[in-house]
Amino acid sequence: MIKSFKLPLILFFFFFLLSGADTLASTTGSIQPDIFGKAMEGLERFWNFTGFANAHYTNFIMIAVGLFFIFLAIRYDYEPLLLIPIGVGILIGNVPFLAGNKIGLYEEGSVLNYLYFGVQQGIYPPLIFLGIGAMTDFSSLISNPKLMILGAAAQVGIFATFWGAAILGFMPAESGAIAIIGGADGPTAIFLSSKLAPHLMGAIAIAAYSYMALVPVIQPPIMRLLVPKKERLIKMKPPRAVSKQEKILFPIIGLLLTTFISPSALPLLGMLFFGNLLKESGVTERLADTARNSMINIVTILLGVTVGASTQAVRMITDPETGELINKGFLSPDSIKIFILGAISFVIATAGGLIFARIMNLFLKGDNKINPLIGAAGVSAVPDSARVVQNEGLKCDPTNHLLMHAMAPNVSGVIGSAVAAGIMLAFLM
Amino acid sequence: MIPAFVNNEIWTITILGWLIVFVALIFLVLIFLLVPKIILWSTQRALRKKDRYNHKSVGDKEMILTDEMNAAISMALYLYFNEVHEEESNIITIKEVKRRYSPWSSKLYGMNNLNFPR
Repeated sequence: MIKSFKLPLILFFFFFLLSGADTLASTTGSIQPDIFGKAMEGLERFWNFTGFANAHYTNFIMIAVGLFFIFLAIRYDYEPLLLIPIGVGILIGNVPFLAGNKIGLYEEGSVLNYLYFGVQQGIYPPLIFLGIGAMTDFSSLISNPKLMILGAAAQVGIFATFWGAAILGFMPAESGAIAIIGGADGPTAIFLSSKLAPHLMGAIAIAAYSYMALVPVIQPPIMRLLVPKKERLIKMKPPRAVSKQEKILFPIIGLLLTTFISPSALPLLGMLFFGNLLKESGVTERLADTARNSMINIVTILLGVTVGASTQAVRMITDPETGELINKGFLSPDSIKIFILGAISFVIATAGGLIFARIMNLFLKGDNKINPLIGAAGVSAVPDSARVVQNEGLKCDPTNHLLMHAMAPNVSGVIGSAVAAGIMLAFLM
Repeated sequence: MIPAFVNNEIWTITILGWLIVFVALIFLVLIFLLVPKIILWSTQRALRKKDRYNHKSVGDKEMILTDEMNAAISMALYLYFNEVHEEESNIITIKEVKRRYSPWSSKLYGMNNLNFPR
């Protein structure tokens, strides 16, 4: 059967081959230079489309930053779930291309632009909060509610940075968006900056996530500096058992109370407490499971990649005043200022929590005293800062486990930073 | 130089903002200091109604468990939950058992009757 088809197929192929050669032979003299000319023109056009032709040295700086993030995540295990998507996002966002072909993140109609919509409109952060709520156990906080105040004390970082940013010449709304880096909460930072200063969102998000990843590096020296060894050795009494009734009541009361005080934080706090109720009610395990696993993973991927890609080094836009094309890319003096303010804000927040914990100890007696190290966990950055507290505690006394105690200011820090974001929105929108 | 009205706004937000965060969380602290007491009170009331309330109060010190006791309880619970049989699906699959005789795998041929009384 196959053999019978072979001969016609060969003849068919040769017919086209010979007729093609014939045509070429008859036109060689007149068209050949034109063919080469067209080929060169095509090659030139192709070259203009390539990344090599459109590259700017800033692209390579940002690509190096992206590679550094990936290196930190893989080599040192610093927040790999965030740094890998952000690092790859930075690479994606900084591959040079010819503008106007619906490729880039900022080009309307491009795939990346559609994915970025969730960041721009603040859709992803509340979904992340839903997942966080569904995976967080608030029982350490319910068992010792006074530790919640440490979460408020550490928010001094946000407000001090707000003041500092204004001094450095940022507009109030921009200062508010930058200040939230001190909340050490990526989704909150993205949510607030998308509302107050969308043009700074890339720098703010990258600064927030970078410093969150660097919590194990930033916090320990401040802890050792501000808390004397004698106080670092304090052993706290074990938290009491918390009833199921209390665990169910917490998200309901927390939701109503905090959002009545700061309604602007409703998308964040509403989703956080909703997620927690899914977990604690005990009757919606399937929903809680989806929120804390599949959903938060999907949103983290989208959020990480798009925030990373938003750090495009070259972004030419027309100046509305002069009509000239100007570069509004990521690498600007503003970004550097934001990074410096972010670092200061982290340091102040950590110091605020530690100092407040020491002040609290002046009013507490006997075994009610708290280990001031747990104040550092008030900066949120769940659960990394609580882990740092545990490690520092173990370094002073290998039998002193502070993780459960540190989780209380840690999760109250999340609530505190969301409330602070709501306050900023209310004042500055 | 920051204009005076902007400067005032910044100071207001800085101080007032931080205070509001404190107030929000202090409210939560107060409520959650109160909630266990309300729950305890309502439980005691319910028990009193049923006349099952034990008047002997349990002191804080009696409630505190040492780390060793916690570890022992956790271990006991862990062992208990691991021993509990899994829930059965209640689906019975009858597998056809095929044992065709073959001298190659016969145990009989591989045995020596050393202990057989002669």
